[in-house]
Amino acid sequence: MKSFFTLSIVLASSFGAMAKDVSDSVIRVATTLQSYNPSQPWEKTSPRKRRALAAVLPNSQVLTTAEMVTDANFIQLESANGEHQIPARVVAVDYEANLALLTPNSDEGIKTLGKFNGLEIAPTAHLGDEVNIVQIEDNGMTLITEGRIQSADVVASFVPGHFFLNYEVKASMQSAANSFTVPVLKDDKLLGLLTSYSSKDQIVDIISPEIIKAFLKDARDGKYQGFPSLGIGTTRTTDIHFRDWLQLSSDKGGLYVTRVLPNSAAALAGIKTGDVLTAINGKPLDRRGYYHANGYGQLFWSHLIRGSQPIGSTIKLDLLRGGKPLEVSATLKRAPEGIIPSHTYDKAPRFLVKGGIVFQELTKSYLRAFGDDWVSRAPLNLLDAINHPEDYEKGRKRLVFISAVIPTPATLGYESLNSVIVEQINGQAIEDLPSLIAAFKKVPKNGIHTLKLDGQPETIYLDAKVSDTVDQSLLARGLPSLSRETE
Amino acid sequence: MKVLFTCAIALVGSLYAQEAVTAAPAQDHHTATESATKATIYKSIVRIEVASQVPDYKTPWNAGRFSGGTGTGFLIGKNQFLTNAHVVSNARRILITMHGSSRKHQARVVHVAHDCDLALLELVDFRPFADLAHLEIGSIPKLESEVRVIGYPMGGERISVTRGVVSRIDFRPYAHSRSDSHLIVQIDAAINPGNSGGPVLQDGKVAGVAFQGLTQADNTGYMIPTPVIRRFLKDIEDGSYDSYADLGAYDFALFNPAMRKVYNLQANDPGVLISSVTSGGSSSGSLKEGDILTAIDGYSVDSSGNITIAGERVNMNEIIERKFAGDKIQLDFIRDGKKLSKEISLKTFPPASMYSAQYGKKPRYLIQGGLVLQPLNRNLYAAHKLNNPRVRRLFSEYVKEGIFKERADILILTRVLDDPINSALSGYVGSAVKSINGVDITDIKQAHELLNPATPPEFFEIMLDGLDRPLIFPSKGLSEANQRISENYGVHKANNLSN
Repeated sequence: MKSFFTLSIVLASSFGAMAKDVSDSVIRVATTLQSYNPSQPWEKTSPRKRRALAAVLPNSQVLTTAEMVTDANFIQLESANGEHQIPARVVAVDYEANLALLTPNSDEGIKTLGKFNGLEIAPTAHLGDEVNIVQIEDNGMTLITEGRIQSADVVASFVPGHFFLNYEVKASMQSAANSFTVPVLKDDKLLGLLTSYSSKDQIVDIISPEIIKAFLKDARDGKYQGFPSLGIGTTRTTDIHFRDWLQLSSDKGGLYVTRVLPNSAAALAGIKTGDVLTAINGKPLDRRGYYHANGYGQLFWSHLIRGSQPIGSTIKLDLLRGGKPLEVSATLKRAPEGIIPSHTYDKAPRFLVKGGIVFQELTKSYLRAFGDDWVSRAPLNLLDAINHPEDYEKGRKRLVFISAVIPTPATLGYESLNSVIVEQINGQAIEDLPSLIAAFKKVPKNGIHTLKLDGQPETIYLDAKVSDTVDQSLLARGLPSLSRETE
Repeated sequence: MKVLFTCAIALVGSLYAQEAVTAAPAQDHHTATESATKATIYKSIVRIEVASQVPDYKTPWNAGRFSGGTGTGFLIGKNQFLTNAHVVSNARRILITMHGSSRKHQARVVHVAHDCDLALLELVDFRPFADLAHLEIGSIPKLESEVRVIGYPMGGERISVTRGVVSRIDFRPYAHSRSDSHLIVQIDAAINPGNSGGPVLQDGKVAGVAFQGLTQADNTGYMIPTPVIRRFLKDIEDGSYDSYADLGAYDFALFNPAMRKVYNLQANDPGVLISSVTSGGSSSGSLKEGDILTAIDGYSVDSSGNITIAGERVNMNEIIERKFAGDKIQLDFIRDGKKLSKEISLKTFPPASMYSAQYGKKPRYLIQGGLVLQPLNRNLYAAHKLNNPRVRRLFSEYVKEGIFKERADILILTRVLDDPINSALSGYVGSAVKSINGVDITDIKQAHELLNPATPPEFFEIMLDGLDRPLIFPSKGLSEANQRISENYGVHKANNLSN
């Protein structure tokens, strides 16, 4: 009797929006995010909240985007019907691919989530396939929007400059109770996570199942490594005169290598600036760096490295050097971070306050904090360091600079010394913030610290005793600490 | 707060934007002699009408914009009219009209000093003015004393007189060159477009030349005081204007107690830290970074780089302001705890013109294969809104880091005149050219030679600052391309290498 009743309901709804109830396969994620204050690194900025819909996987795990949990202080999973609220933690996160794997904090939560209907990952889709975008309304009802895959593209969805395979789907969505970070299903399996929706073009970007599978596979052992990268900068070879100069025959495509990161997979494979990369694992690249991917049409070459290959795998690269073909093999690894990390999410910035001078390590996030037009507004010398880190790498692990000068008796006359790069303290070369802290610990005989800067004047001095007194009064004025040595 | 100075020259167009003027009842309480003196003085204050041609740094091969304006000038000697440099900048025709007459007399520029915004004009035929009184240059007016501003500002054709009180005497930027600061006197009479170059009088003598106002404040006018005028007149005595000399050293205030301790200075000891010395400047070879400058020409320098002249505390550069290239000054300084004294010979510093607005010069440029290369300067920076960080750095460090020694010209790829020979290169506009065919670029003439060699290479390879790939164009078909480009884009001349 009861089963018959249920069946009729399912029939009724399938006549309507063709919506299947998937509310036990998705779960709301509510996070409270808080990042560090770039100019006052001892404190955090005011917290903000985000809500999204995540996909429940088998084994009491939940998949959402990295941006949902970046700098999160608190993560809570909430069932669609409002019955369960489960505090959760991050198991693995990849900011570059914009994916995060969560699990409940408590055994009880794990048990509760275990009763959900965990989604399998769908196989690779094809252009033209129909997909279902899942949203949950306030009342807990599932809202399904149908869409069709228009194209596959390699895009950066969170961290600028990190490109991954996405599907682009034509769909007309409404804004439901949460943001546009929602799961997308195909044949009741998880195809991907929606990361952006353009209401103007009615196009959504979906992180592809290839990337999700690679992420989950990497995360399985609890030691997440991330996607590999070749470590080169390239430019197109569409310019016919440039091609003639490179002695590229008209039937060849390829990318001109403008930069090779030291100690990267490319550098270790012997790739040099000026080489032309013509094929990866036998797939020829065209003049703009696209290759023919079965089922997807033309894809940007980076997918051949980031997404198709795990760390440690060996790939074959076809090059042209001085017009002559050359084949090398590269063992893929993570790109070296360099002295200026491209992102420092979920990391506390290292800093030191000495006598009122605030020292920090330069990061891209620091410069982005100068606003939308940070490329014009950020200090010129620091911008130069970001654009040309190779000029600053010698003897450095990180670039230490003065981010602020708090007016104190010890910094009298130094108020204008903002954004100056630090070279040496008390004769010790500064390679990162811990080395700066160590250099300040050795108080010279005359009781005065000597600071060598990449600025004018080149040398300034701090009275050790006065600085220590000032530092104590800064603590009394509410600074929680004078330094942070570990990120 | 950022304050904008505006030069008070009336553009021709602004004459059409006159405001309604209500007539005030005439008052006549002056004696006959007073009126007579005034009438004489008025006659010596002339209206200057200028037709100008403003160079175009965006399309440097073009003739530029034809424009014009009016200003004021006054007679200070036989066939010598003093006015502002900005009144006659880029002038192609200058006409002078006497008070109470409508006849226009042709004039020409004898000397122009853009750094202190002064110019000396002469009439082609001085005879009609020969009997007029010459205005005498007086002294700096006292604070709170009254002055009269006389000129031909917007709002009418005839002479206008306003009164004001001297409200401030300071060392301030001169708007015209965008890079110079000199002594300035602020008055509470508005200086309006057209007033420029007119005299500010006190007790019948010239107390200054009206020259700029403030855009964000009412009733604030600025005049060039007499020490600056006298210096200009003295500088041109030898027949040419040499411009200001420069100490060529940057200072850093010695306020910090730890710093004072290291340099062994007591609380009241004089001296400012020399933080850098411009290579090739006046102090080069005499001062070094880390020296403590204690006295300049006998005047004791305090910890913030100020000196006291006639009871007034002024920046130590005021000493240099009053000197000329070739003059010698004494520098007392402490190096490594030892007291030293050196006499230096002052010189002008041409590389600093990178930062000065240029007037009356045909912009230099070079075109090859549709690539337009122009040397960097303030005009170029503003015209093309350059934003490339490496270019911004080259600009800001050109003098400080001595870049001018290796690269007298920083050549910028400002435009690509699209043509099959360069079709893929327009994305690189706004960068600086580092080398051509492996040779580092020093100046535009050398770049021109490298781009037009006797035996051309198969390809021209241009490297840009901060870019890791060369820009390539072939020699084959280049002259045909240049022909095409010059016809299509109306470029009648492929280069202008000097000005």
